[in-house]
Amino acid sequence: MKIKEVPQDGVILESSGVRDVCYAVDENGNYTQVISVGWEPKNDAINFAWEAINEESEQIKVKVIAGTLSPLAYHMHRLVMTPAILADYSGFSKREIKKFCEPETFSRLKYDDLHKLADALNISVEQLISAD
Amino acid sequence: MELNFVHKPSGHCENGVVSNLLRFYGVEMSEAMVFGLGSGLFFSHMPFYKMHGMAITSFRPLPGDIFSRVVKLLGIKMKRFKFRDKEKAMDKLDELLMKGFPVGMLVGVYHLPYFPKEYRFHFNAHNICVIGKEEDQYIVSDPVVVDKCRLSSNELKLVRFASGTYPPKGRMYYISDFKGIKPVNESMVRKAILKNCNRMLKIPLPMFGVEGIRYLAKRMRKWVSFFGEKKAALNLAQVIRMLEEIGTGGAGFRFMYAAFLQEASVMINEPRLNRLSAELTAIGDQWRDFSYNAARLFKKRDAEVATYDQLADKLMVIADREEKLFRELEKVIRDAR
Repeated sequence: MKIKEVPQDGVILESSGVRDVCYAVDENGNYTQVISVGWEPKNDAINFAWEAINEESEQIKVKVIAGTLSPLAYHMHRLVMTPAILADYSGFSKREIKKFCEPETFSRLKYDDLHKLADALNISVEQLISAD
Repeated sequence: MELNFVHKPSGHCENGVVSNLLRFYGVEMSEAMVFGLGSGLFFSHMPFYKMHGMAITSFRPLPGDIFSRVVKLLGIKMKRFKFRDKEKAMDKLDELLMKGFPVGMLVGVYHLPYFPKEYRFHFNAHNICVIGKEEDQYIVSDPVVVDKCRLSSNELKLVRFASGTYPPKGRMYYISDFKGIKPVNESMVRKAILKNCNRMLKIPLPMFGVEGIRYLAKRMRKWVSFFGEKKAALNLAQVIRMLEEIGTGGAGFRFMYAAFLQEASVMINEPRLNRLSAELTAIGDQWRDFSYNAARLFKKRDAEVATYDQLADKLMVIADREEKLFRELEKVIRDAR
């Protein structure tokens, strides 16, 4: 890669302090560091992964509104959590988390437990009990 | 309290932490040199080891390997820790900081507040270096961020005990004894290059090194019939993310190793390494071409996109070129002895 070929496709990194340091050759073939704000194929790959997650979340949301799943299932998927990982962060067991994805169990949860779950997901309790 | 620590951003987190740490102790060493001495170039595709339910493809050795190889070669002593208890992990960190040691550590990126939200995946092999503490705020040198950052003690605790694949479990390390340091010499460079050749050529398992690239190519041809159209595209996107995103390197690592070969060629007075460096640059460009075409495939942007078979063919070409390169490199280094 030559210095002038280093991509500067800022879509994702631009607003943060994160940058890619690239190695590229100058006209004499010597390597130097060049700072980049991103590359399109990489941005595409990241966005593609998110599109898939958002699509699946919307499908779960439909089920939440239909009453077959609890809002927790939706938020968990939207925030790329799995029952195992959320169990780790919240202190519940994996089995309990899976149980909470059922609307009946979820509606019986006490405020403290909701709070624990919301904290682990880094959202508010109000958000947790709605599907928005 | 902040240590007198010069923060320089780098292409890869682990090299960056090592290079910044060495600078703290008065040794100026480029990131490429750290990467080379750490025999950092690698490839592995591990369908049995998953992140987000998909195979992990990595372009570097296990986290911590580069660091331990470099300190071993240089004759420095370092100490590593791993914790079960979160409070103990934080107390030990404070204790070391107060003694004046910058402390490197492994964290998960999911909860890192200064990362763009698109990066919030459960990737748990990111390296940062803690270099100071003011009240409840830790001052952090993160090699992929341009400036120094800050994390509250709760935030730091959370990322140090992130959950998911390969949980960091509060892992941290620092340089404990610097007296025995040897300046970089020819034999270290040769040893490190040979080690890298070995890792790329001689691991007798199909998932690693040059063989790993072929293994990925072989599996890629079956993805559509295996997973279906959608899941195949997601798998491909995951490979591209690991190729290009922070932490795992990919094409960027080929260029970085090429930069190292250039430096090494001067150091051990071996002009042939320069030619190999140019060849590796060309291979890096092929990796980029692969990413570019792969992105067009999963985005289906044009009517004429490459198929998985064509992408796999590209990988096979890359594998052949890398194999040839490392065999030559091995010969050059052995010859001169």
